[in-house]
Amino acid sequence: MTVTVKDKTELFSPQICAEIDRWIAKYPAEWKQSAVMGALMIVQDDNGGWLTTELMDRVADYLDMPPIAVYEVATFYSMYELKPVGKHKICVCTNVSCMTNKSDLIVEHLEKKLGISFGEVTEDGRFSMKEVECLGACGGAPMMQIGKQYYENLTPEIVDAILEGLE
Amino acid sequence: MASDPKSAITSVNFTLDGNSIDAMPGETLLNAAKRAGIEIPHLCYKDGLRADGNCRVCVVEIEGERTLAASCCRAPTDGMVVNSQTKRPRNAQKLVLELLKSDVGETAYTHDSELDHWLQSLEVGKPRFPTRQQPAADHSHPAIAVNLDACIQCTRCLRACREIQVNNVIGYARRGSASTIVFDSEEALANSSCVACGECVQACPTGALMPAKEAARGETEKQIDSICPYCGVGCQLTYHVDDNRIRYVTGRDGPANKGRLCVKGRYGFDYVHHKHRLTVPLIRRDDAPKQATLALDHENPFAEFREASWEEALSYAAKGLLEIRDNQGPSGLAGFGSAKGSNEEAYLFQKLVRIGFGNNNVDHCTRLCHASSVVALLEMIGSGAVSNPVADVEDAQVILIIGSNTTENHPVAATFIKNQVNSGKTLIVMDPRRTTIANHASHFLQFKPDTDVALLNAIMHAVIDQDLVDHTFVEQRTTGYQALETHLRDFTPEAMAPICGIDADTIRQVAKIYASSKASIILWGMGVSQHVHGTDNARALISLALMTGQIGRPGTGLHPLRGQNNVQGASDVGLIPMVFPDYQRVDNPEVREKFENLWQKTLDPNPGLTVVEIMHAITDRTIRGMYIMGENPAMSDPNLNHARKALASLQHLVVQDIFMTETAWYADVIFPASAFAEKSGSFTNTDRRVQLGQQALKPPGEARQDLEIIQEMANRLGLDWHYDHPRQVFEEMRQAMPSIAGISWQRLQQSGSVTYPCKDENDPGQAVIFTEAFPTPSGKASFTPAPFTNADELPDQEYPWILITGRQLEHWHTGAMTRRAEMLDKIEPVPVASMHPEELTRLAISPGSPIKLQSRRGVVTAYARADHGMSKGQVFLPFCYHEAAANLLTNEALDPSAKIPEFKFCAIQVAAG
Amino acid sequence: MVNEVCLRTLDLERPWLMEQYQSRGGYEVLKQVLTEKRAPEDIIEEVKKSGLRGRGGAGFPTGLKWSFISRNAPGQKYVVCNSDEGEPGTFKDRDILRYNPHQLIEGMILAGYAIGATRGYNYIRGEFWEPYERFEQALQEAREAGFLGENLLGSGFDFELHTHLGGGAYICGEETALLESIEGKKGQPRYKPPFPAHFGLYGRPTIINNTESLASIPMILEKGGEWFADIGVKNSGGSKLFSISGNINNPGVFEIPMGTPFSELLEMAGGMKDGRKIKAVIPGGSSAPVIPGDLMMDLNMDYDSIAGAGSMLGSGAVIVLDDTNCMVKTLERMSYFYHEESCGQCTPCREGTGWLYRVVHRIESGQGRQEDLDLLDDVADKISGKTICALGDAAALPVQGMLRHYRDEFQYHIDHKRCMVGAG
Repeated sequence: MTVTVKDKTELFSPQICAEIDRWIAKYPAEWKQSAVMGALMIVQDDNGGWLTTELMDRVADYLDMPPIAVYEVATFYSMYELKPVGKHKICVCTNVSCMTNKSDLIVEHLEKKLGISFGEVTEDGRFSMKEVECLGACGGAPMMQIGKQYYENLTPEIVDAILEGLE
Repeated sequence: MASDPKSAITSVNFTLDGNSIDAMPGETLLNAAKRAGIEIPHLCYKDGLRADGNCRVCVVEIEGERTLAASCCRAPTDGMVVNSQTKRPRNAQKLVLELLKSDVGETAYTHDSELDHWLQSLEVGKPRFPTRQQPAADHSHPAIAVNLDACIQCTRCLRACREIQVNNVIGYARRGSASTIVFDSEEALANSSCVACGECVQACPTGALMPAKEAARGETEKQIDSICPYCGVGCQLTYHVDDNRIRYVTGRDGPANKGRLCVKGRYGFDYVHHKHRLTVPLIRRDDAPKQATLALDHENPFAEFREASWEEALSYAAKGLLEIRDNQGPSGLAGFGSAKGSNEEAYLFQKLVRIGFGNNNVDHCTRLCHASSVVALLEMIGSGAVSNPVADVEDAQVILIIGSNTTENHPVAATFIKNQVNSGKTLIVMDPRRTTIANHASHFLQFKPDTDVALLNAIMHAVIDQDLVDHTFVEQRTTGYQALETHLRDFTPEAMAPICGIDADTIRQVAKIYASSKASIILWGMGVSQHVHGTDNARALISLALMTGQIGRPGTGLHPLRGQNNVQGASDVGLIPMVFPDYQRVDNPEVREKFENLWQKTLDPNPGLTVVEIMHAITDRTIRGMYIMGENPAMSDPNLNHARKALASLQHLVVQDIFMTETAWYADVIFPASAFAEKSGSFTNTDRRVQLGQQALKPPGEARQDLEIIQEMANRLGLDWHYDHPRQVFEEMRQAMPSIAGISWQRLQQSGSVTYPCKDENDPGQAVIFTEAFPTPSGKASFTPAPFTNADELPDQEYPWILITGRQLEHWHTGAMTRRAEMLDKIEPVPVASMHPEELTRLAISPGSPIKLQSRRGVVTAYARADHGMSKGQVFLPFCYHEAAANLLTNEALDPSAKIPEFKFCAIQVAAG
Repeated sequence: MVNEVCLRTLDLERPWLMEQYQSRGGYEVLKQVLTEKRAPEDIIEEVKKSGLRGRGGAGFPTGLKWSFISRNAPGQKYVVCNSDEGEPGTFKDRDILRYNPHQLIEGMILAGYAIGATRGYNYIRGEFWEPYERFEQALQEAREAGFLGENLLGSGFDFELHTHLGGGAYICGEETALLESIEGKKGQPRYKPPFPAHFGLYGRPTIINNTESLASIPMILEKGGEWFADIGVKNSGGSKLFSISGNINNPGVFEIPMGTPFSELLEMAGGMKDGRKIKAVIPGGSSAPVIPGDLMMDLNMDYDSIAGAGSMLGSGAVIVLDDTNCMVKTLERMSYFYHEESCGQCTPCREGTGWLYRVVHRIESGQGRQEDLDLLDDVADKISGKTICALGDAAALPVQGMLRHYRDEFQYHIDHKRCMVGAG
């Protein structure tokens, strides 16, 4: 049984607390829960791109939410990861505009180059691949997102250059 | 409530399937149709749960609207024309049923699947879609089977878990067709935070959640409406019985539980079928003399006894008692009745002691739980019962809970409190332990143990300081306020803060919230009462309510949460040494005369001894013989080594019980009695509701009903009793007790529940009392200032830790029933001592490993459990485990007014076991 | 009449900066409204006059939506902007956020003024990090300039505006799911009624408008509702941002008058790639039923013209497909999308979208059965109009459109277990 920790500042580092507090401040005082999506993203970024049950429970404690409500949110939205991902999470859009602009070639190229498929992580933990739905950049199809950055009008050559440029 | 829609001026007229229907204001199409006899198919809707509208089986066509509407969510407007059976809605309903049918697996887990019912009634054939990939079954939990292949994602279980019981375990995770019901973060049910209340099982329409081991797979031959045998909440339930065995239990819509149950009520029933039930009378073997140290072998509990016939046992029992009475005088005998038995049993038992033994030495475990609350209440407001029912939290703005682990000890009552918090009410919790109810509180005051009076006096000081006293109420309804005000002068929040550990600002804030709300109710448990200053603790609470005028109206008042299913009733009918039924004092000559006329015997004018006093009198050899029915002092009394030694020293001990309890082990003769489900009788819950328990089973072997055994004993003690049915006892009680004069057996059978005071048969029963006056000679309440004193035994260098004892969710009282209930014992199988995790680390004890607790009186070994809710320096140990009986450690020091022992505080040593 | 409203600063250097926006007269109309204390009813009237219809896809008249709010009801009211752009093919709001965030801010403040709301939230989809940062930067500038906060320009009117970032869920584009999401919950659409105008964010009266709709407000108020209405055609006032993508040479966002012939838009977008033949057009985001290319070439980009051809203008997302595209594969991908994005709440959608996808998938992969086309028709028909929100409809419409115009292609797949296009 979860018993709430009394002092919330013990839940996260001061920096993470401050970042979450910035989200909390945007909403009415009795609606701390509104900050859950922001808080999960902050905590996920801080944890190498994925969420553990313990981290989700901490977010719940921090925002005075039942842990189950946090878990529901974390599993509903596609940007939260509940399993480890690569340092660089490569999200490739395969929806209609990208598909008709040969996103399948981009996927094939990435698979061959990295030796992984969608939902997998490279052995060195540097890359993972994820198939995503339309990211709202169809004018630049085919496209992908790595981290927070969009990359558009892709060709295999461009993809190579992008990956080489990543740390 | 307007039950006749025709009479409601604002009713709404609409047309459904060509019929003109009047809907009540706010009523949905589905419910209005149902009332008019038109069934619209539905799955995700269930009475009592919030309508969610997700399954879309109940869609109807509303003239003028493009899309179909869910009739469970939509209320009609005047003149609306609705069709539920035309082609468009019917096709949609059928498609949904077909999609759902294609989803669920072939296996049927229940005999009354609602999905199958609608598939048949709408004549939906075999689905055109192949079945989905089915999730694996989860049979990890001892009580609940999870078969999500039968799940239709209607989320009724989720709403039951989160909105009704507010346990927040069940979720609906992921999305789209991957959506799934989960427990916590997809844990196996047994590993989740589930408290097994079973509300989800009761809500599930397809059998995806069911009682374990297919217990409810088939329909049973009998369904018996009864009530729960455990705590004082008084939940109504139904026993489902086959072959004289309870197969499973469901909640019933009673006034105290609205269909809800907790783990004990729902899954703790099979103790009645336990292999160690007493089924024949037993007499101590000549070669097994009594010994002080308990050596009861739970695997072979009958070794010290031989079987006897009823005639031999009864004669032997009576002879032993008569010898003492005749040689030593009546004062050599005493009796303990039980708060677990019915009103009729308790009434006859106290009558037997008073006129059969000839003294007033009759008491029961009320002495050990709320005696101090009752003393303070009687003294200050003239009545020992609650002023308002738990259900009144609905009318309250502020709910104040102190010294109560409500979620574990009164789980169903706690759900109503949590519901109110969810609808925006303020909950203040004060407790030295942070228990789960605190998670729902806006203010949690984790004060230092033993400092209740300091905290409460400071709160009252702050009420006065902030000018929040209800002067009109104080003037018109109370006496003695000045003395209180003077007394409180020194109890400033600043002065009390270091003593109770709550800062002055919080004290002021809480005082303001409580005093200035439109209606504030106080509920308390044994954290308040089980102290040597328990009466003062309660006095302070009562003063707080009186000075702020928070009593005598709906949503206000004082509610000591009663611990046992009939502790209220047993006290009401006189199972206490100083009063006859209805709290009429034995030392009042007028009262005595009345009872002498009723019972046709001369009565002892002296109040008798209380539970712990009786133990002392045994040690002093003034009491030599006892008759104990359904009580277990060899587990429940403080300083057990002393109590057990006393029991062993009795010349003659008669015990009437269903198991070889620790107390029975000290007996000379044991009567096999009936379990709750094996008899009928009335029981009075914490709200003063009188309800009927109905016999569902025949007692095993030669076991007899308690009422019958008491009578057999009475007749052998020279009385001449002929009660054929509890009804006759109840009728006699009505003559003795003005409070229940208006309640007849027939009325109980018809309505299932009547609240007292109920003066005549037309009186609906008064749920809220003290609205006009208090039942004191002046009609006014009086203030008793409470001084701040310490516990009897404070921690010191040698015994530096504080031990707090109590109950836990799955086990009840001394564990006699719940430790023998298979599912409950599987959930909590071993004794656990809870401490703050950092304290465990400091002592190098890892959770789950043995831990030795020692006081000046005894020593036990339990298993360590980490609990963030514990304050440092404190240990909590439940008293239900015979392997680690907490009361070996506790201190028998008594509250001077109420004679209640200090179970909530003693000094101990802690070490790795 | 290109780039006159929402993209009016696009030609400038770093157009997202406040000074650039102000160089084109940005915030002037706000100042005027606040200092002259223009009657809120007038503002709503002007918006009604403009003929502005919701640019997110549903096309509901914006002014009418605003008038549902009881302006004088006590308590908090909210303005919420829907920047959860996710309808496949749509990428216009991203450009407003990136290039002209101040105009959206100004529009939201004006909307707040008009309905008596003092707080606003802009819900930006979580993947839009760059647009989010641009918008946050603009908020900072606006706050510093006194356009946000308390007592704006001494008018006594307060308005605070914050961003809420999504987490990746198409359904949050549905207005009540979006509200749930701001409240920190799963994005499950709410049962209606009550509508957000009465029971919206945190249970308070709320208007929710699309980014483009709100960003159009300053120009409508500056130049008048009639001016805006006159840009477009009857029933389709104003100009509109069209996101055009697919097999074309110059995909992108074009702000052009409503009623512009599709052929002109295609020309602006550089025409068909590699000179291929136009096969089909999805004219309003992926939930809009497909229109064959030759039919589309005769239509105009306005609500009525597109509706006349059995489809809808939607969010103005135009996906142009050439003759190398297999319609079965295209529908399979679209159905997969709705299956992925259904919230899981209502049975017909949760189960039905799965069924649509699985049946189309088996046709595409050569496992199709003769009865499958009828089954698709039946399921699509029974999903639409029977769920809490319109996602069920959105999933059914493309199926119905594809079967209407390309049934033979589907039949070929079933009969020959392979694609007609490849066989070509």
